[in-house]
Amino acid sequence: MTTTTVEPLRPPVRWEALYFALRNTKLLVGMGIILILLGIGVIGPFFIDKPPSEYVGMQMQPPSGEFWLGTNTFGQDLWAQFVHGLRTTFLVGALGGGIAAVIGMAIGFLAGYKGGWIDEILTMFTNVVLVLPTLAVLFILNAYIGVRGAGMQALFIGLTQWPWAARSIRAQTFSLRSRDFVDLARLSGVGSGRIIMREIAPNMSSYLLLTFILLFGGSILIASSLDFIGLGPTDAVSLGLMLQQAHQWSAMHLGLWWWFIPPGAGITLIVGALYVANVGLDEVFNPKLREL
Amino acid sequence: MRRYFGRKLLVYGLTFFMAVTVNWLVPRLMPGDPVASMLARARVAQPEAQEALRVYYNNLFGFDQPWWQQYLNSWGALFRGDFGISLWAFPTPVADLLTRAVPYSLALLIPSILISWVIGNRLGALAARRKVLDNTVLPVSYVLTATPYLWLAALMAWGFGIVWGIFPVAGGYSFSMTPSFTWPFFVDLLWHWVLPFASLFLVALGGWAIGMRNVIIYELESDYANYLSALGAPQKLIRRYAFRNAVLPQITGLALQLGVLVAGALVTEIVFSYPGLGSLILAAIQNKDFFLLQGAFLFIVLGVLIANFIIDVIYVIVDPRTRVGMAGASA
Amino acid sequence: MRNRVTRFLIPVVAASLLAAACTSGGTPTPAPGASVPAAPAPVAEGGAFPRNETLYTSGTQWGPPANFNPIREWDSATGTKGLVYETLFHFDPVAGKLTPWLAASGAWVDDTTYEVKLRPNITWSDGKPLTAEDVKFTFELGKMETIPYHNLWNWLSAVEAPDASTVRFTFSKANYQQWDFNIYSRSIVPKHIWEGRAEKDVLDGINENPVGTGAYKYHSHDQDRVAWVKNDTWWGKATLNLDPKPKYIVDIVNSSNEVAMGLLLQKGLDLSNNFLPGAANLVSGNFGISTFYPEPPYMLSANTAWLVPNTKKKPLDDAQFRKALAASVDTKKIVEGVYGNLVKPASPTGLLPQWDQFVDQAVVGSKGFGFDTAKAKKLLADAGYKDANGDGLVENKDGSPIALKLIVPAGWTDWMESIRVIATSARAAGINVEAEFPDYNALVEARSSGKFDLLINNERQLSNSPYTYFEYVFQLPVQAQQNTVNFGRYENPEAWKLVQQLDGTKTDDVEGMKKVASQLEGILLDELPVIPLWYNGLWSQVSSTTWKNWPSSEGSAPKSAPTMWRNWLELGGFESLASLQPVAP
Repeated sequence: MTTTTVEPLRPPVRWEALYFALRNTKLLVGMGIILILLGIGVIGPFFIDKPPSEYVGMQMQPPSGEFWLGTNTFGQDLWAQFVHGLRTTFLVGALGGGIAAVIGMAIGFLAGYKGGWIDEILTMFTNVVLVLPTLAVLFILNAYIGVRGAGMQALFIGLTQWPWAARSIRAQTFSLRSRDFVDLARLSGVGSGRIIMREIAPNMSSYLLLTFILLFGGSILIASSLDFIGLGPTDAVSLGLMLQQAHQWSAMHLGLWWWFIPPGAGITLIVGALYVANVGLDEVFNPKLREL
Repeated sequence: MRRYFGRKLLVYGLTFFMAVTVNWLVPRLMPGDPVASMLARARVAQPEAQEALRVYYNNLFGFDQPWWQQYLNSWGALFRGDFGISLWAFPTPVADLLTRAVPYSLALLIPSILISWVIGNRLGALAARRKVLDNTVLPVSYVLTATPYLWLAALMAWGFGIVWGIFPVAGGYSFSMTPSFTWPFFVDLLWHWVLPFASLFLVALGGWAIGMRNVIIYELESDYANYLSALGAPQKLIRRYAFRNAVLPQITGLALQLGVLVAGALVTEIVFSYPGLGSLILAAIQNKDFFLLQGAFLFIVLGVLIANFIIDVIYVIVDPRTRVGMAGASA
Repeated sequence: MRNRVTRFLIPVVAASLLAAACTSGGTPTPAPGASVPAAPAPVAEGGAFPRNETLYTSGTQWGPPANFNPIREWDSATGTKGLVYETLFHFDPVAGKLTPWLAASGAWVDDTTYEVKLRPNITWSDGKPLTAEDVKFTFELGKMETIPYHNLWNWLSAVEAPDASTVRFTFSKANYQQWDFNIYSRSIVPKHIWEGRAEKDVLDGINENPVGTGAYKYHSHDQDRVAWVKNDTWWGKATLNLDPKPKYIVDIVNSSNEVAMGLLLQKGLDLSNNFLPGAANLVSGNFGISTFYPEPPYMLSANTAWLVPNTKKKPLDDAQFRKALAASVDTKKIVEGVYGNLVKPASPTGLLPQWDQFVDQAVVGSKGFGFDTAKAKKLLADAGYKDANGDGLVENKDGSPIALKLIVPAGWTDWMESIRVIATSARAAGINVEAEFPDYNALVEARSSGKFDLLINNERQLSNSPYTYFEYVFQLPVQAQQNTVNFGRYENPEAWKLVQQLDGTKTDDVEGMKKVASQLEGILLDELPVIPLWYNGLWSQVSSTTWKNWPSSEGSAPKSAPTMWRNWLELGGFESLASLQPVAP
């Protein structure tokens, strides 16, 4: 969601990065939050013996020792939903972000490295998809085709989120391809694919990582919007779906704050932590920023 | 410059073409039949009556023609401004529903985008290289930009609307009011506008502040800034130059973010039941009103394209280099 | 530069907002079917409806008011029928009898002739008198094929108007029960205005500026509401001694139940006919909201929710299997868990409490079913369904696995939760049921073409006669498309004959009706072509800040149905409105 600026190129990552990484508070805090939440989402469900949709107890109970996040109008355990929801949310984010990153890289590398008419066509295509308002396209796709699984949702998100990544990767590749080491590789008869994989990608690995993190966060936000509108998966619980249910069943008016505050806070924490970690990483990789 | 605009217009044209094609194609891939659902709603049991209705609706919606004819028809209808008839609000034309909703959406979008952009840039510029501000503005901005629009909207509705009861929680104006050009009505209108606007504004603000801060830092590190500084130019002057240069990428950023901002406005409208496009889209999805959904989609695409073009024009006006002839540099 | 921008922005907001609100007519876009014309919005005192003279209602209209056409009983603006257009009779579900309305009386003069005497001095809102010609005209509209009551003419042979206040209906076959339903359901329209309208106009016309005989007239409408204003010259004031107090009735279009709840709590809404989850808490908490009953089930019952099995599919074609399925469903869990006691478990026959007198308790006692997992298992075992592969779920008699899909439309949250409960409890008894949520369109298609296993349906409301209930269950012949009734495609000629026999029983012959009903109940419980689960409520939450004397089970309050739902104003809804009193005089 943050505006992404194409930063100047930096020297390749060295071991010193790790040294700086361990001393970068932003990175540590961001990664810390993500790991904790991820841990809850991955391990948590094993400690909850009942499915999240099970009616476990009294209805509309505020948080207590028994139900950590209280119960909703049906008497479902919101902590159980939250834990399962985290899992789905991470899954959709990682998968959606991953798919978008792969498409973005493929198009960005190809356009940036090959240049010429391939570049022209791919750039044109990228720009067209870039201008299309993503969420509106997703509305149409989801409403008609009926996305009912988290994987499908992630796929659609991935298919619409890649353009800006492709654009910035293309720009980076473009400036790398005339470097000496690339020329050298080309002169020694190495194929384009290998040059991209061996010479170009590693030289911008930090940049690719940052791109993926931003796509990850963006996918989570988009998924939550889709869930909220009623186009989310029907076979799973996600944080966005919890919000949708809370809204649909008037949690606000009934004063059930424990129903709609935790899932939203969860999404904000995940995405915020991703962004902060992203800045931290940026500082680690980019000595210019370290002085701050 | 002609080449610059030509290229842009080509992209927009292609985008529009693609949008219309997708819009036409996707419904034909889906399960279920809108006419069948229409008939079910009419609750007609007798086979003769049902057949009569089916023929009637098929004619109305053009499903009985060959596909290429349907495709051409869809373009023809588009140029006539005919988006079909809403099933949800049958028999109101979709175009009517949309034109009624668009002003509400614009009333939220335009001010929140412009004001958040202006204030966000100011904040970001101030924060850059000022430790105290940076340590407060930056974290807050990150939280804001990571917040789902719908959640912030829900929090505001809950806090200001339900707990404190200062602002209304839903609707574009009170049900006790009849739309008219009178003061009480206008005040009521504004009253309902505050919360949805504020939540859109806040989320967008964070993004701009972060963006501006980062760009300014790069600008201050650049050669010309160092050179000026070495010449002994006052810090204030250098900062002003940096700001002017930093505004350019922020304008590009605005164009890139349009889609996201529009999406945010749609879900915010839904939270507040604000009578704009978002609420229409929700109604369309819930009632399987595909004509309405598609019409809304085309409206949004068209709106975003127009906005993009306006931003392009502004970019050329603000950036002297594009005028001189760096055509297509940022296309 | 930035200062200039900010200063410039404020007027932009102002202008576009105002433009938004005042363009309710929309731009002139020529399109087929012409839209509802711009509401001229006759401003009621300073652009607002005075709160103490206005009744705000909600819960009926889910889209913008589309038309004021009383023929379109399923989507005309709330109140079109009932407030503006009136019917010959009303039906009082509490007393179980017809109340003369536009008609002064109606009687069978012989077995196949029904005669209606109209009340004198009734005028249309344009001043013209209501005559027998109008009634004749209205019923003859049904000769058009696409009119909803076209099938009336399969057994009605002629309508005559021998004089201005008499209408005589002659039947080829007298279906007494259905006829009563028709005379309180069909809005009478003015001949002098509707004459000459083409079939398309009659069915699809918007009918702006509706001219009716009713207690209210059209005031204005917008995307989000329709407003009616009191008709001061209404005939009922003198003749029926009814005088509705609200000067304006504003019915609000629902964007969601959540919005309705917000409005109700903020006292912006007087009557909400929405399904509000957690309404029990609103009643017991200090919110100033009340319902018909102060305790569970809080609401009157409006219709029955059935589990409908597709009786053309294996193993659902086996009545024994359907019985086992019925015994496996934990309805109590749905009632308490999903609905928080806002609904009532259905009796085994599914007949609504208002029809209790027609339920033969002896039949129910010997053949009824209830939730009993052990019994469900035993029924399965006795019928020969065994779990051969040891997965805890039974297989078909031929050993092939059973996998039944239970469907409700995606997004219908209470039903979605309910079928999850059903699936879980069926599996506990060894029946493999899975909950699925297709799109509404897909569901409708599957339902009407018979391509489903199990679904939930409740599309039959309370009426004057259990006939309508049995017609829903047993109607024959089964067609390629079953759009409104008998979705399970159950074929039992004997039962259908009994239903027709019930239809042909005179409505005052209660004993005769009971006898046939008892036989039908026996077949229903033996065969279970539908499995009644719970009674959906007549959702109604009221606030007494502006209007009082709402219907309630307590004390001397009116007992009529507090609702604006379509086709319910004739079932007591209008009487409820007419008995309201202002809180502040």
